[in-house]
Amino acid sequence: MTTALIGQLIEALRCLPGVGPKSAQRMAYHLLERDRPGARQLAAILSESAEKVGHCKRCRTLSEKELCDICASQKRNPQLLCVVESPIDVQAILQATDYQGLFFVLMGHISPLDGIGPEDIGLDELAKRLDEGEVNEVILATNPTVEGEATAHYIAEMVNRRKIKATRIAHGVPMGGELEFVNSSTLSHAFSGRQAL
Amino acid sequence: MNRQHPHKHISLQPSYILHTRPYRDSSLLLEIFCRDHGRIGLVARGARSSKPRFAGLLQPFIPILLSWHGQGELATLRSAEPGGPAPLLAGDRLYSAFYLNELLLRLLQRADPHTRLFDAYITVLSALAESKKEEESLRHFEQVLLQEIGYGLILDHDVETGEAIDTRLQYTYILDRGPVLWQKNTQQGIIIQGKTLQAIAANHYPDSETRRQAKHLMRSALAVHLGGRPLKSRELYRKQRFL
Repeated sequence: MTTALIGQLIEALRCLPGVGPKSAQRMAYHLLERDRPGARQLAAILSESAEKVGHCKRCRTLSEKELCDICASQKRNPQLLCVVESPIDVQAILQATDYQGLFFVLMGHISPLDGIGPEDIGLDELAKRLDEGEVNEVILATNPTVEGEATAHYIAEMVNRRKIKATRIAHGVPMGGELEFVNSSTLSHAFSGRQAL
Repeated sequence: MNRQHPHKHISLQPSYILHTRPYRDSSLLLEIFCRDHGRIGLVARGARSSKPRFAGLLQPFIPILLSWHGQGELATLRSAEPGGPAPLLAGDRLYSAFYLNELLLRLLQRADPHTRLFDAYITVLSALAESKKEEESLRHFEQVLLQEIGYGLILDHDVETGEAIDTRLQYTYILDRGPVLWQKNTQQGIIIQGKTLQAIAANHYPDSETRRQAKHLMRSALAVHLGGRPLKSRELYRKQRFL
């Protein structure tokens, strides 16, 4: 039997992606039956994060400080700027590569059919950043979707007009995969982007 | 069973995705344009999970074969298979391709078949990918689109006199009627050469002047049906010039 409060907890947990009524119920009962300290800590950190986390004023990623750790770091190369769609992409690149430059997070992509234009993804801030003159290569790491491509193209024009080098991450066949199972558009991109050995 | 919406199974239908939108936790809502049924709305369940179904195929501008079942407004996607080589659209061509999809979404009713328009869509996508005859195929697509929604342009005769268009003369195209011979004090309509009208009809543009006039006429003719809202994809073009 669920009381009103437990019911509310279950309902609240459902705001998480991929959590349906059944898993929300399991989570709620787990927290209440077996892990009260965990529940208290979760509640405290959640409310603190929701209160304090904002956007880094330089790269727009999520951060509780005015300047995120990456932008504040003295060790990174400020001449390289990698443009990504979301904060989670920053993590993915940091974990997978030895990239030493800085980031700019669009928090979205251009999508004319959804009414999202260049002004909605912070490109005026990016323009200012480029005009400061420190950046000499912009790496476009937006998603390989049509919207991501259109966004990359739009930004590349912006970058090239300032006589700065713009590069795009390569599209290709995933490592460990088999050609037979690669979808046709990926394969066609991989084919047209082939490199001399 | 509901008579107006019989339970339908459609199998391997040549289609293109016009637009996708996230739906619930892990699904996508698709607007598709397919050969035999026109514009259709579909739900693709599990298309956004960590192991997505239909991986990579539910993207605009890629020819795909879709199978679905269901009744009423929104059917459920069962399978998606590649339908041929994907045209490689780069740069400004992507904006033009978005423009096509935006036109189709704004102007087509759901579940009206438009086979000719489907063919014109395939042609214009491959023209954009190969950067060959792009303008011709864009104009042709717009012309077929207008015809298919029931507002085709009149290109062969003067609507006032009924006489055939003379390529040496100048006309005024009045949008809700058609071309009439140009007269000095005409206020309304779009000034257009007889040779441009013929060029549109033949889909062959001999010079930049006819191309420019044809583009202007199409833009005005489409604007009537788009209402007050401008096309977002066209704004992208315009903004890029002032970066």
